Amino acid sequence: MTLALVVVLLAQAIPYQRPVETAPQEKTIGGGYKTPPVQKPLPRDYWLQMADVALLGAATGLSVWLAIKRRSRKGLAWLSIGSLAYFGFYREGCICPIGSIQNVTVALTNPAYSIPIVVTAVFFIPLVVALFFGRAFCGGVCPIGAIQDLVVLKPIQTPRRLDRILGLLKYVYLGLAIFFALKPGMARDFLICRFDPFVGFFRRTGAPHMFMLGGAFLITGMFVGRPYCRYLCPYGALLGWCTRLARRGVTVTPDKELDCGLCARACPYGAIEKMRAVRKDCLYCARCYGSCPVYRRRSVSGAGSLDVQGSDS
Amino acid sequence: MSGLTRRALLGTAVRGTVLATMGGGAAFLVQKAHGQVVWQVDAARCINSRLGEAGVEACNLCTTECVVALSAVRAVNEYSKCGRCNICPAYFNITSAVDDLGLPSEKLCPRDAIERKPIGKVDPEDPANNFYEYIIDEVKCDGCGKCAIKCKEPLGLGSIVLKVRYDKCVNCNRCAISEKCPKDALQQLPVGQALR
Repeated sequence: MTLALVVVLLAQAIPYQRPVETAPQEKTIGGGYKTPPVQKPLPRDYWLQMADVALLGAATGLSVWLAIKRRSRKGLAWLSIGSLAYFGFYREGCICPIGSIQNVTVALTNPAYSIPIVVTAVFFIPLVVALFFGRAFCGGVCPIGAIQDLVVLKPIQTPRRLDRILGLLKYVYLGLAIFFALKPGMARDFLICRFDPFVGFFRRTGAPHMFMLGGAFLITGMFVGRPYCRYLCPYGALLGWCTRLARRGVTVTPDKELDCGLCARACPYGAIEKMRAVRKDCLYCARCYGSCPVYRRRSVSGAGSLDVQGSDS
Repeated sequence: MSGLTRRALLGTAVRGTVLATMGGGAAFLVQKAHGQVVWQVDAARCINSRLGEAGVEACNLCTTECVVALSAVRAVNEYSKCGRCNICPAYFNITSAVDDLGLPSEKLCPRDAIERKPIGKVDPEDPANNFYEYIIDEVKCDGCGKCAIKCKEPLGLGSIVLKVRYDKCVNCNRCAISEKCPKDALQQLPVGQALR
């Protein structure tokens, strides 16, 4: 085998003779020649990275406004399409707060590891917003959420018990993610990114088994709304905790609404329980408001469209 | 009523504590942010540019394994080390038939990403006597390494090596190429060192 290689190499090497022993420099080449600088593509401009962070903040703010103030299903749907296009397909799903959980964990515990400021910002902005206004990030900004939200076709109401048990998986996943992030050296495993089911779609390239996993999530997602978000997303677990402390959030309010239950049936995520929104599970899609006959009547008549703010003010 | 206010007060206190904790964490991460690392190909390890490594076919794992479309790795010509040869073994397929200009008839690059142009004092009478600059089009290059392996000694001077493009590299936690690279040529370097 080696002999064959050498023979082939020699067969190639014999007719070709390298004409020079050393590289000619500017003086030898003459004619006023200047050696051009070596091509060095720099990282994405710093201001563009900062613009991404600003955009993330703005989109999260817009999501808060659309969900809590405007209660607009249409607005949130468009916002999530925009976010899917930009953060998903244009920025190719990287960086995202979900995966950054592990990087933040390593950076906080390991003195030899650090993360760019942009990653820190991307990790904390949705959490801070959730601390005041709930999971607005999930509704209008997260591309992983948006891609699943757009395929919701005929959602079934998962039995409450099953929903709750499956919902525990995300805490397990969060625990595993932190556990593997704390491992030293090569044993460290960034499993959130490795098992991101949708990043392959965003990048239009990836391992076949990950495409299959992503496809399976999307097909499941037609009937069980946003399975990744509800049962697996470790960042959702963090957002859920922050949301419990939130001062405001999506409310299905008794004084203004009819308690007819249409909203509960419209919620594909099982986040309306006993006619009231469960804040930690609500994914800010505003389908409840879209289904509400009160809003529909008001928007048709065009009157009182401003009288739709929550009763909690 | 007073119960409600107390609850609201407690809520505010808890929220403030969480916010302060997050702020502290963020501040800590920001002040150590300068130490971030990026991936780079070590030319002394890469099969395609390492001396003494025999091989006919270039290793193209950088092309096939990278998660970015068309790969974030591409070939770079370090001009100051380049022989500026008339017949460059990285530009031409030197085993192909010679055409009427006395040059090999085929190019080596499968994506036609290398441009060849005479430089310095150009002698139009004798093209073989001129120096040539070989410029790699980064947009076309997918880092297959075919030119790099031909450019190394003894055929060339080893001016063409594979490098990571930082405008395309998404800086994966575990570079997909590094996981497959048999020589562990993809290394993480401090960002300042890698950009130098």
